[in-house]
Amino acid sequence: MTSHLEPVPGPLGGRHPRIDAAAKVTGSTRYVADLALPGMLHAALATATVASARVLGVDTAAARAHADVVAVLTAADVPANSIGVIFGDQPLLVTDRVRMVGDRFALVAARTAEAAWTAARLVGASLEELPGVFDPVAAVADDAPLVNGASNVFRTFHVQRGDTAKQAKRAAVVVEAEYRVGGQDHAYLEPQGCLAIPEGRERITIVASCQCPFYIQQGVASVLGLPLAAVRVEQAPTGGGFGGKEDYPTEPAACAALLAWHTGHPVRLIYPRELDLQATTKRHAMVVRHRWGADRAGRLRFAEVETFMDAGAYVGLSTVVAERANVSAIGPYHVGAVRVATHVVYTNNLFGGAFRGFGAPQVTWAAEATMDKLATRLGMDPVELRRVNVLDDTRRTICTGQRLRTPVLAREVLDRAVELAGWDGFRAAPPAADGAWRHGMGVSLVLYGCNLHWGGQRLDRSSAVVILQADGSVVVRVGLTEMGQGNLTACQTVAAAALGVDPSQVQVWQPDTTTVADSGPTVASRGSLMSGRAILDAVRRLRVRLDPVAAELLGCRPGEVELAGGFARVAGSPERAVAMQAVAKEMSARRIETIATGWHRTKARRFDPATGQGAPYEFYAMACHVARVAVDPGLGIVRVEEVTAAHDVGRVLHRDALEGQIHGGVVQGMGWGVSEELRLDRGRLVNPNFTDYVIPTSADAPRITIALVESDSEAGPCGAKGIGEPSFIPTAAAVRNAVCDALGVEVDTLPLTPPRLVEALGERHPFAWVVEAATRPATEHEPATVGPRA
Amino acid sequence: MGEDRRQAARAPEVERVRIRLTINGEARGFEVAAGRRLLDLLRDDAGLIGTKEGCGAGECGACTVLLDGKPVTSCLVLAASCDGHAVTTVEGLGGSPGTMHPFQRALVTHGGVQCGFCTPGVAVTGAAILAGGHQPAEGARLLAGNLCRCTGYEKIFSALEAAAEEVRRDE
Repeated sequence: MTSHLEPVPGPLGGRHPRIDAAAKVTGSTRYVADLALPGMLHAALATATVASARVLGVDTAAARAHADVVAVLTAADVPANSIGVIFGDQPLLVTDRVRMVGDRFALVAARTAEAAWTAARLVGASLEELPGVFDPVAAVADDAPLVNGASNVFRTFHVQRGDTAKQAKRAAVVVEAEYRVGGQDHAYLEPQGCLAIPEGRERITIVASCQCPFYIQQGVASVLGLPLAAVRVEQAPTGGGFGGKEDYPTEPAACAALLAWHTGHPVRLIYPRELDLQATTKRHAMVVRHRWGADRAGRLRFAEVETFMDAGAYVGLSTVVAERANVSAIGPYHVGAVRVATHVVYTNNLFGGAFRGFGAPQVTWAAEATMDKLATRLGMDPVELRRVNVLDDTRRTICTGQRLRTPVLAREVLDRAVELAGWDGFRAAPPAADGAWRHGMGVSLVLYGCNLHWGGQRLDRSSAVVILQADGSVVVRVGLTEMGQGNLTACQTVAAAALGVDPSQVQVWQPDTTTVADSGPTVASRGSLMSGRAILDAVRRLRVRLDPVAAELLGCRPGEVELAGGFARVAGSPERAVAMQAVAKEMSARRIETIATGWHRTKARRFDPATGQGAPYEFYAMACHVARVAVDPGLGIVRVEEVTAAHDVGRVLHRDALEGQIHGGVVQGMGWGVSEELRLDRGRLVNPNFTDYVIPTSADAPRITIALVESDSEAGPCGAKGIGEPSFIPTAAAVRNAVCDALGVEVDTLPLTPPRLVEALGERHPFAWVVEAATRPATEHEPATVGPRA
Repeated sequence: MGEDRRQAARAPEVERVRIRLTINGEARGFEVAAGRRLLDLLRDDAGLIGTKEGCGAGECGACTVLLDGKPVTSCLVLAASCDGHAVTTVEGLGGSPGTMHPFQRALVTHGGVQCGFCTPGVAVTGAAILAGGHQPAEGARLLAGNLCRCTGYEKIFSALEAAAEEVRRDE
C-alpha cells in the first residue's frame, strides 16, 4: 500500500518538464481571451470613478442606443443582487450608494468589445458625492463617515496569552513603533476574464481564469437563483493568480452570467488592464502598532501588537486574512506574554482580498523590523537576537498556545540562510561604500501555517479522480487549480510515483466542477498538499481492484504486488514483472472498474476565537531570507543584490516547480518592499498602469540562492509542505532590514520608495545641506561657507 | 444629456486599408480598419492566438512579435503600417510547424515557464536576443521589456544561457 510518507522511487524530487510548458511556450494554450464561440457577445462594465456617493439615478438610454449594443443591465435586472464570499455586504450592481471606485452601475453586452466599452462609458450616473474615509486609523474615530453598516470596525480578532503587563516589568528594553505597511496589486500578466455559456434557462457553463471554480459556482448559482448542479465552472488555463483570482473572479463571472442569461448568447468579459488595476482586490494596507520588550539577554518578555487592517469598502475575505495575520504576528519566536488585536476596518479605499501570504507578510514585516530595533537597543547582532528567541524542538509553543510537531526547523532555516549568505563575514567587515552605493544586509524569518485556518476548516478538503485507461495511461482530475504554480505537474508527479509509471503516462486536466467534488479554494499553499493526498487516496482505492488482477498475471498474492518503473511486480522479486499496460488491458477486458475517487481532509482542530488560543493550523512551515542590498542614499534608490532563501519544505515533489515558486516569491516580495506603491487619491488609484505601478523587471531581479531544509512532513503527499506563500513573506522584511543597515536609519513605512528613504534620512541625507542652504534666510546666506557638513 | 451622447453613439465611418504582409513565412492579404492594431490582426484576423494582450499599452511585453526580425509590442503597432513587411509570432519561431526554437526548448527543459501568459513574448524577445548575437549575460537588461510575475526571471536566464550555448554549438 502507498503511504503518504513512503518514499517512492521515480519522478519525485526531479525536474521532468512541466506538463503544460510545451503548449505554453509555443502559444497553443488557450486562455479565456483566446476562446470564442459563434454568436458570442462581449461584456463591459460601467463603474464609479468616485469612492463615496449617493446614487440618484442611472441613465442607460445612450448606452442602449449605441451601435451593436444588445443589452444593458442595472441592479433592477439582478435576481439576487448580493455577492461576497463570506458576508453578503457587497451588491453586484450598486443601487443607492457608491462605496468605492470601481463599484458597478451597469453591465453592457455588445457585438464587439470596443462597442461594449464605448457604450459602458455612455452610462450616466447622477451622484451626490458624500464624505469618505481613506485611512483605517481615521476610520475608527467616532465622527468618521460610516462606510458600510453601523460601524467601520467590522470585527476585531484577538490573541491573548500570558500577562504582558507583568512581563513588561522584566523587560530591560522596550520598543514602541508604528508601521505603515502598504498594499499591493497582484499584477498577474493575464487580466481577469471569463466566458459564460447559457443553455436555455436551465443551466450555464462558466469558463474562467480563476483559482477557485467552486467559489464561482456558488456565486453564480446564488445571483441567478439556480441550484449548484446547474452551474458548471471550468477553469481556463490561468495566467497568474497570487490570490487575485481567489475571491475576485466571482464578480466578473456573475456579471457575464447575468448578461448571458438575459441575452441567451455566450458572453465573454475581459478586463482592460487599467480597470483590472483600478477595480480588483488588493493586498491589505495595514497600520501595525508594536510594544515589545526584551530582557538584557535579549529574551523576548512580551509583545503587544495592534493592527488596523484597511479592508476597503467590502469585507470580502478580510476576516480570514486577519486570522492568519494574528498567527504570524510575533513570528517564529518564543514569547511568554502576547496581546494581539487586529481590527478589520471599513474605508472607502479599494477593497482588500486574498494575496500570497494573506495578512502574514504585513505583520511579519513589522515583527522583523521590531526585532532589529531591539537588537540595536541591546547592542546585539540581529541574528544573535533571533537565535536567542527562535522556536526549535525544545521550545515549540507558538502565540496561540499550540505546541508544534517536531521537527521544528526555524533555527535550521535561520542557520542555513545566514551561513550561505555569509552573514558573519559581512558583519565583521562590511564592504566599503562603492561610489554612492552603501551596502547592507538584513534577515527575516516567518512562521507560516499550512492549509486553511481553523475558521475555514470546513472548506479544507479535496477531491480527486483517477482513471486508468485501457493502454495503461492515466487520467487525473483534481479540484484544485493550476495558475502557474505547477499544480498540474505536482499532481502528475504524485500520481506517477504512486502508480509507478513515467510522468509522461499521466495527464492531469484542468479542474471542472462537474468532474470532482468541491475541494475548497486553491490558496494557502494547499494546492499540491491537498490534491496530492486525495490522489494517493484514489490510487489506494484503485489498487483494491488492480492488485488482484496483477497478482493473477504474476502468480502471486495481491499483497505482494508493487508498482514501479512502469510495471506491476512481485515485491522482492523485481524480475517477476508485468507491464502496467498489460494490467490495464486485462482490467478493461474483464470490465473491471478502472475509475477511482479519492478524498482528503485536514484533521479537526480546537481553537477559541475569543482568545486566539488553540490549534489554528495543523502544520507549519518555516522560512528565513537574508537580503544583501546596495542603497544610493542621495537618490534613495535600493538595489537588491542577493537574496538567500532557506525553506522548510518537507520533501520535494518537483524541484523546478519548487525553485520557481521561491524565485517568483522573492522577486514579488522585493517588488512589494521597494517599488510597488498603490497611490490612492480619495480612494482612486492614480497609477493604474505598469509605467507608474512598478513591478520588478528582469533588470531588477536579484541573485537568488536557495537552501532546502528537508524532513518528512505529514502535511502533504510524499512528505511535502506548502511553498507558495512562505516563499514570498520574508523577503520584504529582510530587504527593509538590509536597507536600514546600509543607511543607519529606521524606515517604518513600506514600500521603501526613493522619496521615503530621502525623508527618513532627514539631516543625514547627503544633500541635506543643499536643502538647508536653499531654505536658510537670505541674510545668513554666506556662499563661501556652503558645503557638506563635516 | 441625450442628444450629444446619441451623436457620439453613431458608428463612425471607418477608413479601411488593403495590406499584404508575410506572417511566419506565409504571404497574407487583409483589409483592415486604419486604426486596427497589429495585435488584433494577428489574434482575430489571422487566428494566431499565441500573441497575448497583457496591458494594451506597450508596458508588459506579452504581445511582442518580430517585425522584420526586430521585437515590437504589437499592441502599439498599426496593422496598416505593416504593409509589405514580415511578422514572426511565437507560432513561427521554430521555422516550421511542430519545431521549437532552441530558446523555446530551453524554456521547457529549464523550468522557465509558469503561468505562461508572458511566455510567448519572452520567447520572441529571447529569440531576437540570440539572433542579434548578444551575450546571454545581457539578457537581464534586454528582457526588461517583458514583465513576468511568476518566475522571478531566474530560470528564464538559465534557459537563455542554455539556448545560447546550443546556438553556438550548432554554428
